[in-house]
Amino acid sequence: MSLPLAEKAGQHPLPIEFADEKESIKITGFWMFLVTDVLIFASLFSTYAVFRTSVAMGPTPDQLFRMGPVMLETILLLTSSFTIGLGVYFMRKGQVRALMGWMIVTILLGAGFVGTEIHDFVTFAQMGATWHTSAFLSAFDILVGTHGAHVTFGIFWAITLLFQLRKRGITPQTARKVYTYSLYWHFLDIVWIFIYTFVYLNGKIV
Amino acid sequence: MSEAPKAMTAEEAYHNENDKVLRFLEPRFHEEKFPSIQILGYIGSLILTFGAYFLVMNHVLPPVALLSVILILAVFQAALQLGVFMHIREGRGLAWQLIPLYFVFFVALGMVAMSIWIMLFKSGVS
Amino acid sequence: MPSFVTYLIHTLFPPTVRFPDILLIDAGLVLGGLGLIGFLTKTHRWGWLWREWLTTVDHKKIAVMYLISAIVMLFRGGIDAEMLRAQLAMPSVHFMPAIQYDEVFTTHGTIMIFFMAMPFIFALFNAVVPLMIGARDVAFPRVNAMSFWLFAFGAILFNISFIIGGSPDAGWTAYPPYTGLAFNPGPGENYYFLSLLIAGMGTTMTGINFLVTTIRMRAPGMTLMKMPMFVWTTMVTSALILFAFPPLTVALAMSLFDRLFGSSFFTLTRGGMPMMYVNLFWLFGHPEVYILVLPLFGVFSEVVATYSKKALFGYPMMVVSVLAIMFLSYGTWVHHFFTMGAGPAVNAFFGLSTMLIAIPTGVKIFNWIFTMWGGRIQMTTAMLYQMAFIPTFVIGGASGVMLAVVPADYQLHNTYFLIAHFHNVIIGGTLFGLLSGMYYWWPKMFGMKLNERQGKVAFWLFFIGFWITFTPQYLLGLKGMTRRLYTYPAGLGWHELNVISTVGAWIMGAGFVALVYNVVWSLLYGERDVTGDPWDGRTLEWSLPSPVPEYNFARIPVVHERDAWWAMKQKGQTMAHALRPEDVHDIEMPKNTPIPFLLGVSFFVLGFGMTFKWWPIAIVGILGVIACLLFSGFDYDDHHHLEADVVRQTEASLGRLQG
Repeated sequence: MSLPLAEKAGQHPLPIEFADEKESIKITGFWMFLVTDVLIFASLFSTYAVFRTSVAMGPTPDQLFRMGPVMLETILLLTSSFTIGLGVYFMRKGQVRALMGWMIVTILLGAGFVGTEIHDFVTFAQMGATWHTSAFLSAFDILVGTHGAHVTFGIFWAITLLFQLRKRGITPQTARKVYTYSLYWHFLDIVWIFIYTFVYLNGKIV
Repeated sequence: MSEAPKAMTAEEAYHNENDKVLRFLEPRFHEEKFPSIQILGYIGSLILTFGAYFLVMNHVLPPVALLSVILILAVFQAALQLGVFMHIREGRGLAWQLIPLYFVFFVALGMVAMSIWIMLFKSGVS
Repeated sequence: MPSFVTYLIHTLFPPTVRFPDILLIDAGLVLGGLGLIGFLTKTHRWGWLWREWLTTVDHKKIAVMYLISAIVMLFRGGIDAEMLRAQLAMPSVHFMPAIQYDEVFTTHGTIMIFFMAMPFIFALFNAVVPLMIGARDVAFPRVNAMSFWLFAFGAILFNISFIIGGSPDAGWTAYPPYTGLAFNPGPGENYYFLSLLIAGMGTTMTGINFLVTTIRMRAPGMTLMKMPMFVWTTMVTSALILFAFPPLTVALAMSLFDRLFGSSFFTLTRGGMPMMYVNLFWLFGHPEVYILVLPLFGVFSEVVATYSKKALFGYPMMVVSVLAIMFLSYGTWVHHFFTMGAGPAVNAFFGLSTMLIAIPTGVKIFNWIFTMWGGRIQMTTAMLYQMAFIPTFVIGGASGVMLAVVPADYQLHNTYFLIAHFHNVIIGGTLFGLLSGMYYWWPKMFGMKLNERQGKVAFWLFFIGFWITFTPQYLLGLKGMTRRLYTYPAGLGWHELNVISTVGAWIMGAGFVALVYNVVWSLLYGERDVTGDPWDGRTLEWSLPSPVPEYNFARIPVVHERDAWWAMKQKGQTMAHALRPEDVHDIEMPKNTPIPFLLGVSFFVLGFGMTFKWWPIAIVGILGVIACLLFSGFDYDDHHHLEADVVRQTEASLGRLQG
């Protein structure tokens, strides 16, 4: 409802990103975007599930996947999810320097994730396992690649947010932007957990 | 149109007349002096991840059971991320994101499961 | 460089776009474009066009632009339909060669679904939803403008295909392997995938926008069960869009990758599986048909209540049935490909779930009839469309239940029976609903009524033409005529029925001409609506003057009843009596911005470059997109304050201010 909320003294104050009604509506909107994105990934997972055994002349999941880099990527992404969570915690305390510090850590961890993933894909390509090879590899590449593209986009998004934070500090607007960014980042972590489970670990169950 | 809109308290907005049925959308905020929930959540997520890893690498269960168990662990992990880090229950007014989120996980699960079921035909008929 | 020029001519103008009729259209488009540019220059309207329309974020103006695009696309799709019927009127006619026939039925279907019905629906959403819920704009005005421009440039990209490079020709569903590079090397299918991806992004954004608008922007006191029925269907449709478009996006992107980058999702080699495309496409496609029809259920609910002078019968059941349709529509998609042979269990499951949908739909039909029961019915054009809708949709729905019977579907699949069925529901449900809504809300959008007499002529032409066109097609389907035949030999017993069907199509064409005449005539000489409430309406949009001022509501209303405006009128509490100068405050309004338009242009450039695999052009487009995103990310200056005095003056000039 769009009536102004009367903040009673002693009542629980709203966090800064919800303080402005228009900004809080944007947070709802971002949740709805995440809902569609869940289904983008669900469609990709469906394709992967169906094509998992269509390996043609190419390698099978078990032959292809190496768990070392995957575990590294998982730890990097889980840690980055934790650090951006800390960033939002400090944002709500109004500590802009701590927020920016944790965001920079998040960006670096995210960059480590993308770097490892690219290295992994290049290795596959050198083995001749590209998406020309089989339907399984096409589905694998588009699923993991879409996630990687999301992470890459998130890194650049975070960089633009850092500039805005440096210029404006924590306001209802910048706080809302950081909050939606953190939602996005945690969401990518959730997607990765399913990729980790359903693609990589599942590939090792023979 | 005789009444001018007057400010409501947050409580009144949530309990506004007919939307009482939507009580489950009432937001909950949490605030701590120290980010203990975040730290516990991080430790929990690492345990779930490595737990799944060791279950698979040591082949402790038959394949189908193993896959089910690690998928359940993944769902726990998702719930943990949503609850601890994404503040799923927070909002100004009602936390409207809950309904689409419940629905989307249902649809996503249905989409993957039904697609597998439907596309099994390749092994049967042709 | 002559070889370069030859290459360009061969790529952009292959023989398939050098048919005489297309060359004639080329000339017409060039002349028309030059004429338009000349007119705008001569009347010094470029600045006006830029400031008032291309950069606007006002939902009412965006609605008008959606409406114009939809009617233009209705014309294009209608011409395609007339060409198809002309070809099929007689046996062994070769009015069009097979390739052109394929292109025409593909563009007919695609345009009517994605570029006519969808924008028409969004026109109605934009025109009235914020007014019905007592809001000053949609939740995200800029995103709304982006949605429109993405749709518009997607539509342009799709439509230029028939003059540059060749149209898609694999049907509106674009099944592989028809779309595979091996069988379809031209740029046509690239156009299809890219334009739908671009327009689909816009549609998804519209879905998010209206979902958030309806759940977060309602006037105080308007609880869920006090929303007008059209707002309910808007909310549910937006949710359906959110849930349905992702699989389409994924399916289109995968097909495009197969064509452009050599992946093998739906190829016949290397383990690819074309049927997976079909699965994903209909995961989108079935909710899509409810996206196309649910908003019109909302329109009919408003129209029938207004013109019967009664509250909608069984409002809670209507809400429940809309929600039931939403849930069920996700569980029926396999009925579009029963003949794939997924096995008896799968087919039985989806056949049953399809039949289940008939129940909530039937509930709604009865509710509309009971709303009319005992009411004082006014036979306006909008109401005529509503009354024509009921039998048409019931018959279309019943033939749909016939198709849901799996063994019968094996016989009827891809015959003209199917064609007749879905035209029966899409024209009877969607098009009649869109026109009903257009006649109903026209005074609110443009400040004048459409001429009723001419409107009724157009209605009868549409209605009669519709039945003459599609009744014979049921029989043709039963006689074994399959869809997408470009011609047929004499002696199969199909001839007479096809002639009748073609005559019906001409009558519908005449109906379209009457409709356009009605619109143009009414814009010039139509009866002005000075009251703001020409139909004695029930919902809040009729509490405002027509056309609505920029800020919609000088003061946000407080809602106590379901039909809020009707209740206010009963109690004598209309806005005009109650608004005092001190009630008016400064209003925060969104500011115009060129970014949505430029984003659309960038996506167009990107799409065009990718269609022909001219990567430098595509990269320019991507850079444009990035520039637009960066600019809007750093742009904090997105609203301005409308002074209370300006609002007071406007309201006073409309005679709505006390003192």
